[in-house]
Amino acid sequence: MRTLDWVVLFAWLAAIVSYGLYRGRGSGTVDSYLRAGKTMPWYAMGLSIMATQASAITFISTTGQAYVDGMRFVQFYFGLPIAMVILCATAVPIFHRANVYTAYEYLENRFDTKTRALVSVVFLIQRGLAAGISLYAPAVVLSVILGWPDRITTILMGSLVVLYTAFGGIKAVTWADVQQMMVIFAALILALGMAIALLPSSVSFADALTVAGAAGRLNPVTVKFDWNDRYNIFSGLIGGMFLMLAYFGTDQSQVQRYLTGKSIGQSRLSLIFNAMAKIPMQFFILFIGAMVFVFFTFEKAPVLFHPVALKQIQTQPKYAGIEARYSAAFEQRRSAAESLIAAKRSGSGAGWQQVLTRYRAAQHDLDAARGEAATLAAATTGTAGFNDTNYIFLSFITHYLPVGVVGLIIGVIFSAAMSAMSGEINSLATVTMVDVYRRYVRKTATDRHYLAVSKIATAFWGLYAIVFASYGSGFGALIEAVNMIGSLFYGGLLGVFVLAVFFKRVGANGAFFGVLAGEAAIFAAKLFTSISFLWFNVIGCVVVIAAGLVISLFERPAVRTR
Amino acid sequence: MPDSKQVLDEPPPFLRTWPRVYTMVLIYLACLIAVFYAFTRWFAP
Repeated sequence: MRTLDWVVLFAWLAAIVSYGLYRGRGSGTVDSYLRAGKTMPWYAMGLSIMATQASAITFISTTGQAYVDGMRFVQFYFGLPIAMVILCATAVPIFHRANVYTAYEYLENRFDTKTRALVSVVFLIQRGLAAGISLYAPAVVLSVILGWPDRITTILMGSLVVLYTAFGGIKAVTWADVQQMMVIFAALILALGMAIALLPSSVSFADALTVAGAAGRLNPVTVKFDWNDRYNIFSGLIGGMFLMLAYFGTDQSQVQRYLTGKSIGQSRLSLIFNAMAKIPMQFFILFIGAMVFVFFTFEKAPVLFHPVALKQIQTQPKYAGIEARYSAAFEQRRSAAESLIAAKRSGSGAGWQQVLTRYRAAQHDLDAARGEAATLAAATTGTAGFNDTNYIFLSFITHYLPVGVVGLIIGVIFSAAMSAMSGEINSLATVTMVDVYRRYVRKTATDRHYLAVSKIATAFWGLYAIVFASYGSGFGALIEAVNMIGSLFYGGLLGVFVLAVFFKRVGANGAFFGVLAGEAAIFAAKLFTSISFLWFNVIGCVVVIAAGLVISLFERPAVRTR
Repeated sequence: MPDSKQVLDEPPPFLRTWPRVYTMVLIYLACLIAVFYAFTRWFAP
């Protein structure tokens, strides 16, 4: 990064914080601090929902994923529009009419206090751990790229988020998200334009598509069903729908966004906006990754994209052999790619197949050399399962984009991390204040008192996330486990809300023990099968409903009819 | 628990009713998947 990049980066960070503080003015009551006084328009909620969901690590790893595996990941979002329609028809009007601050308040109204308490605690554990991770993961990546200690990037991002979130509450969070998403969209278009513009002059956009297609990178739909395959059209539509129903319908970090709406209609429109925009946006991000792949077909990348790991393996005796094999495979692949383009232009079918076979053999050799380098890096750095996917896009940005643009895109990645974290700590503070403090610690107090508690809770969760992330490297394998937590709990959460909305005869005990049964089923599936995690949500939800219905048969009618 | 209250439930700004909007979203999804499928087939090696 050069001086202009640093200026752009810090100017952008200052703009986010200033705008958040400016728009967060006047949050002088609990209602305005936690629900923006129910004044938000649909586009602000819609962009905020999108920003909260799109963390930095999603942003940089999605492009990397397209580079190594193609665009199949977009299928993960196929269930999202269906989930949005269901939520618009059910959850949005129910939560609005119940006039709640959190989704979990509704469960006490429908069932009882223990069900609300159980679900609130599950949320605090799950989202609390995720808040630390969503700060730690991008902080590590950015620290490697910028050459800073990871604690510096953690503290910088975390403290900026806490500043505007604790001051302005959800209004600051939402409007800062709007600003950030607008710049993220602009940066994505810029990044794609640059990836295409930087291709050799002899390679047109159509040629780039030919190469990416031949490499299997333009594959957004897989119609072959496989329980163990994460991304195919079936897991996306069914498993993805359940996951999105749970995420947008039961996770306070999302529910709180659309509870700020002026009306039911405005909240519905915010979800409809996401239903329409999310899949094209993910397709676009993945397409950038595919174009970066084509760029590195003609421009030789280092054998590893992780700069620190690369330096470390370069001192190892095995490195020279790996580098020689990698260089030879790269030259063969580039030559084969040029032949592919020529065959496509000439329309030679027989020649195409021959060259394609040569291209695939070269790609295989190149992948093998990169695999050897990764194994060596794992041994040298002591990192089990070393993977440099998250560094591919950042390596492209920092080495090839013009001065100023680098600072802007690094700033956008900071933004993505900050918007995800702000939504998380804001929702954690809301549940802490509404479902724990006001429900169990101090049931009656002035609005001013509850506002102060909300601000303290926001600061607490922000500091917690910073501390967790600062010591993240010491947790090792726990990081991987925490990443799985969402998929382990969402099925149970969704099941209890489905019981509440659609099964009026199910009472409090059916819901409470149904959740426990659903969670037991999910953990059993995780521990004893190889089923892909997207299906855990389906399994958990179905078991909660079935167990709830069975248990309700033994409940007294008085309990059932709350 | 806050009291329930009457909340404005206005019609959508386009297509007149919410079920029509939902139908449009589902048709849009089907079109997106069809386009992506055609894209996959077109560029399949």
